[in-house]
Amino acid sequence: MMSQEEEKKAMEAIKDALRALRKRHLLEEGAHAPAISALSKPLISHGSEWKEKTEKLETELQQCYKAQSRLSEQLVIEVAESRSSKAALQEKELLINDLQKELTQTKEQCAQIKEELEDKTKTLDLLIAENQEVRSQLEEMTNRVQKAETENKMLIDRWMLQKMQDAERLNEANDLYEEMLAKLKANGLENLARQQVDGIVRRNEDGTDYFVESTIPSTCSHRIHAHEGGCGSIIFEYNSGTLFTGGQNGAVKMWDTNSGSLIKSLYGSLGNILDLAITHDNKSLIAATSSNNLFVWDVNSGRVRHTLTGHTEKVCAVDVSKFSSRHVVSAAYDRTIKLWDLHKGYCTNTVLFASNCNTICLSIDGLTVFSGHLDGNLRLWDIQTGKILSEVVGHSSAVTSVSISRNGNRILSSGRDNVHNVFDTRTLELCATLRAPGNRLASNWSRSCISPDDDYVAAGSADGTVHVWSLSKGQIVSILKEQTSPILCCSWSGIGKPLASADKNGYVCTWT
Amino acid sequence: MANEAVKYVWEGAIPLQIHLHKSDVASHPAPPPALVLAPRIGYLPLLVPLIKPYFKDSLPPGEDSIWFDYKGFPLKWYIPTGVLFDLLCAEPERPWNLTIHFRGYPSNILIPCEGEDSVKWNFVNSLKEAAYIINGNCKNVMNMSQSDQEDLWTSVMNGDLDAYTRLSPKLKMGTIEDEFSRKTSLSSPQPLQGVPETDVAGQVKTARIPVRLYVRSISKDFENLEDVPEIDTWDDISYLNRPVEFLREEGKCFTLRDAIESLLPEFTGEKAQTSGEERSMDESEEAQESGEIKLVRIQGIEMKLEIPFSWVVNNLVHPEFYLHISVLVKAPQR
Repeated sequence: MMSQEEEKKAMEAIKDALRALRKRHLLEEGAHAPAISALSKPLISHGSEWKEKTEKLETELQQCYKAQSRLSEQLVIEVAESRSSKAALQEKELLINDLQKELTQTKEQCAQIKEELEDKTKTLDLLIAENQEVRSQLEEMTNRVQKAETENKMLIDRWMLQKMQDAERLNEANDLYEEMLAKLKANGLENLARQQVDGIVRRNEDGTDYFVESTIPSTCSHRIHAHEGGCGSIIFEYNSGTLFTGGQNGAVKMWDTNSGSLIKSLYGSLGNILDLAITHDNKSLIAATSSNNLFVWDVNSGRVRHTLTGHTEKVCAVDVSKFSSRHVVSAAYDRTIKLWDLHKGYCTNTVLFASNCNTICLSIDGLTVFSGHLDGNLRLWDIQTGKILSEVVGHSSAVTSVSISRNGNRILSSGRDNVHNVFDTRTLELCATLRAPGNRLASNWSRSCISPDDDYVAAGSADGTVHVWSLSKGQIVSILKEQTSPILCCSWSGIGKPLASADKNGYVCTWT
Repeated sequence: MANEAVKYVWEGAIPLQIHLHKSDVASHPAPPPALVLAPRIGYLPLLVPLIKPYFKDSLPPGEDSIWFDYKGFPLKWYIPTGVLFDLLCAEPERPWNLTIHFRGYPSNILIPCEGEDSVKWNFVNSLKEAAYIINGNCKNVMNMSQSDQEDLWTSVMNGDLDAYTRLSPKLKMGTIEDEFSRKTSLSSPQPLQGVPETDVAGQVKTARIPVRLYVRSISKDFENLEDVPEIDTWDDISYLNRPVEFLREEGKCFTLRDAIESLLPEFTGEKAQTSGEERSMDESEEAQESGEIKLVRIQGIEMKLEIPFSWVVNNLVHPEFYLHISVLVKAPQR
């Protein structure tokens, strides 16, 4: 280690050196630095400060440029966005306008509806009130009605009781009357019997027609062209010389056979007239037509009183009850026989059978129907029940005509086998058979007839001649030649003369 | 923990008044001289960026080749500014008037300078030399990363002592342990121990100190420094690049005197005891025959030669770990 002195010297030297350094500092940089820096500042600032400044400014500028570019990009985006927002806004505004309009409209509608609703509510209230009133009224009424009904019932019962009592009394009266009548009749018969025994001129019974002797017709008194196209049916009024003819096209004419002139024509029917029937009182004429209908005229007025419908085929035969003038029977080619009630105007019964009926005739008492059929049989029916009573073979071929005698005992049937048979209506025995050579029946509906004195039978033939037989003699008594076409129908007036015959050309001859 | 002396060394700056040589004046009127503060540990070419702005408007067109001169004496650029000043201005001239040239580089006298890069190269090279002298190899310098080197150079250029203090330990140059630095360090928080023997343990016994010695011989004898004649040729300056063998002897302190003696043995025995600016005149006559050390300047100061050399090394060393010593001698009579 160093000596103390040496160390001291060293320290002194060091301190000295430090002092020297300080001095130097003071002399050199200490003194001059401030001045130089002050002087050089401007220039230094020239150099470095400006440099720094420019660098700073440059970086700032760059940053600014960057920022600007970013901003301009943003701006573009923003502009685009703002444009689109504007467009959207415009749209929205338009939308808003529309919506507002809609809203105002809806509000108006709403207000209207509210008003209406109020009105309706008011009306409803009114109606409810009314309804209640009406209901109460109804209740009242119902009560009243019930009361009335019960009263009514009561009254009806009482009336019925009264009626029954009346009916009983009437029955009693009827019975009494009938008793009296019977007694009277018995008396009358007694008288008559007494008279007959005396051999006096016969008298008419009540209910019978007076007898006329028929003449044998020989000469043609009139030749009437009644219809165009054939006259299918003729009939005389009861006990008169008025003749009804029925022809084609629904023509029905009324003739006076004395003069041979037309009285009137009856209009209203359709189709061809196939058969005619007249009521006993000469008031109604019934025609069976090919138009499936029957026409009923009131003769005096000439009006159609009834049109009887119901047949489904042509009606070829009709007859009316002599007794009641009320019941009509008709036969049609639908294999039915219908029973009509003229007062009611409709069919009361229908009978079906196998073979078509060509001709029909009611018995005198109006209870039995005689029908002649295509199969040649004669059948009897009960009018009320509609059941077949009996059946008899009349001809070997079709029956064309049945006519009942005036007294109702005999029935004449003509058939296509050119045979005319007379049967007894009660026993259905064949009484007589009439035929003649040259007498050929023209059609399925050629009608023959019996004279009112039930002795003569007249039938027309296909050659236009009319043959007259006598039943009592059983032979031909007369052949009447006048007409040239086949005879379709004959009819003998109820007063004995004339005999009328109709042919296919529509000519009607009257023979006396 | 830089102490006061090192701070002064690093902050040291010489005021320069730079005149533009009239041959380079291309403007009228001639530009005024530029005043700059040149760091002592810096180099003249580093000042060019500061100076040029003053003169750039006056320059003639063409390329610049910058060089300085002092009273016509071209200045070698690789010598630190402080050293040049100490060497060439016996009597410190403040501000120091230099002339700057932008043309007519005297390539016969001066080696070419390419601006900052040349100076930096020179610095690094010196660093390597110093490392070799101290450690025996310049591994540490070579292994230093490029960025660290850059930072080191930048700290030197800017006079940033703190940065330098951070980076220099990486060079592992090793310091001479001297208790005196610690004692004189104001910033040192270490309490002054009575006996510093413990710190000495582990230190090298001998070390080699890199030193650059500039000896300016003056033919004429002079009494005062003002009378020192101006230098006109570099031949008058001899440059010694010789390391000092630092001997640590027990009980003896290796002083500056010992160092000088080892470097300039021919002037040994006739050393002048200098303190401040005093000289001994009595021995001047004897010195005439064998030459006489008139002046020893380090970092612009003259010191008592008893000063411990370790203190000198640790505090007055330049950033490249070299100690630059300027010596003024009276030339021996031939």
